[in-house]
Amino acid sequence: MIKIKNLTHKYKNEEERALKSVNLHIKKGEKLTLIGSSGSGKSTLLNCINKLIEPISGEILIDGKNILNANKNDLRKFRRQIGIIFQEFNLIERDTIFKNVLNGRLGFVSTIKSCLGIFEKEDYDRVNKALNEVGLFNLKDKKVSDLSGGQKQRVAIARVLVQEPQIILADEPVSNLDPLLMEDILKLLNKLCEEKGITLVTSLHFVQFTKNYFTRVIGLRNGEIIFDGSPKELTEEEFIKIYGRTGF
Amino acid sequence: MKIKKSIPKKYKGFIIGILIVLIYYWAAKGTNFSLFNFIEGLPFMLDFISRMFPPDISNLGRFLIKAVETLQMAIVGSTIGAIIAFPLSFLAARNIMSNKFIYQTVRTIFDMFRGINEIVWGLIFVSMVGLGPFPGVLALSVHVTGALGRYFSEAIEGVDPRKIKAIFSTGANKIQVIIRGVLPEVKPNFINYSLYYLENNFRAATVLGLVGAGGIGMELLTSMRLFKTQEVLTILIIMILMVILIDRFSAYIRKNILKMEKIN
Repeated sequence: MIKIKNLTHKYKNEEERALKSVNLHIKKGEKLTLIGSSGSGKSTLLNCINKLIEPISGEILIDGKNILNANKNDLRKFRRQIGIIFQEFNLIERDTIFKNVLNGRLGFVSTIKSCLGIFEKEDYDRVNKALNEVGLFNLKDKKVSDLSGGQKQRVAIARVLVQEPQIILADEPVSNLDPLLMEDILKLLNKLCEEKGITLVTSLHFVQFTKNYFTRVIGLRNGEIIFDGSPKELTEEEFIKIYGRTGF
Repeated sequence: MKIKKSIPKKYKGFIIGILIVLIYYWAAKGTNFSLFNFIEGLPFMLDFISRMFPPDISNLGRFLIKAVETLQMAIVGSTIGAIIAFPLSFLAARNIMSNKFIYQTVRTIFDMFRGINEIVWGLIFVSMVGLGPFPGVLALSVHVTGALGRYFSEAIEGVDPRKIKAIFSTGANKIQVIIRGVLPEVKPNFINYSLYYLENNFRAATVLGLVGAGGIGMELLTSMRLFKTQEVLTILIIMILMVILIDRFSAYIRKNILKMEKIN
């Protein structure tokens, strides 16, 4: 499904490369998480997958097509089949939950119509369905700024669901949440991806969650993959290699 | 930058003190300001003020009509300015306009429009299109375009880039991102700035008459020239009352907009 070949990236103001010739093959329906300390390249790798960051070299093939040399129109099509969830939610705080979720349909509708706020009936249906699935249907006319962190992340998940994506990328989706809510959100993501056969690629700061919710763990250090295996295979020894310290 | 030899702390305050005194001396010298002249002139000032009383209201009707005209100038001028500034401000926002040339050009135009005072624009337009409120409206529009354009574009640049990125990630194009992502975030700012400039323009419009660009200022100038000091007082009172009224009105609207924001 996703084939990453020799992916290399270097940020403008930094000496060292953030990603060093990374190769990774992600199969359809896999639930994968990237782990590693900050600066290891997790976020960079994740953001490259839908070209929010443009890497300096390498290839990212999605169903055989290279997203990195896609033209504007193709990129739009790629992006709408890849939903992305952010650590800081990144919602339009002043708008309602409903409007925020509706934004997930922008990649499908005409520019003029969407700017006038006109969407198809199917679009509204999809939004209502997604809001039901994340358990926010009753709050749909509330402003996002009035919500708690956990609710905001549910809105973000709903926005991604209405894209009807093949892949969901989640960049540290629970790092801004209370410990109790972390599991809730991961459980929800896991369940939804399972039901819909969506490939899930996340990055996580908290390794303890890997066991229950993921089928594959990739450990990154200094821009290189140094671990690739199931959560069971992630031993104390491997942990030290990835993080350079104990604390598994 | 590092200062090569730091001055001992105890002298610092002393040196700064001397500098401040010198600056004031220099400025007072340049403007011929003298306390002696002020005291000497005080009786004449008091005499002038006493001759203003009681205010002469025989021409009140005409003054009020002119006051309303001033308000109309402010409303039209602010609206035109805001309408022109709105689309241009997106071209002058670095996070939206990636073309540096366009961005810089629009920014420079804003700075030029804003940098020149309304009165100076009034002078220019009066000599271009003649006396009356029309050149006044033009003057206000141009200045407001520059000022609002600048503030609007800064508000746009203040939008969290991660939110913009998030909308792009859904497959939205640039126009959709602006309308659905940026606009809701900057809307309250835009309304606030526009109302502030309505207030500001009313104050500016009262003075525009002094250069012949319509409004109540023209009446003030005439009465002054004819030494009708009692009429001058009437006009000043009208001006002050109008400014207070507009400020209250605009504060009221802004408060209600904030309330509406909270309810929704």
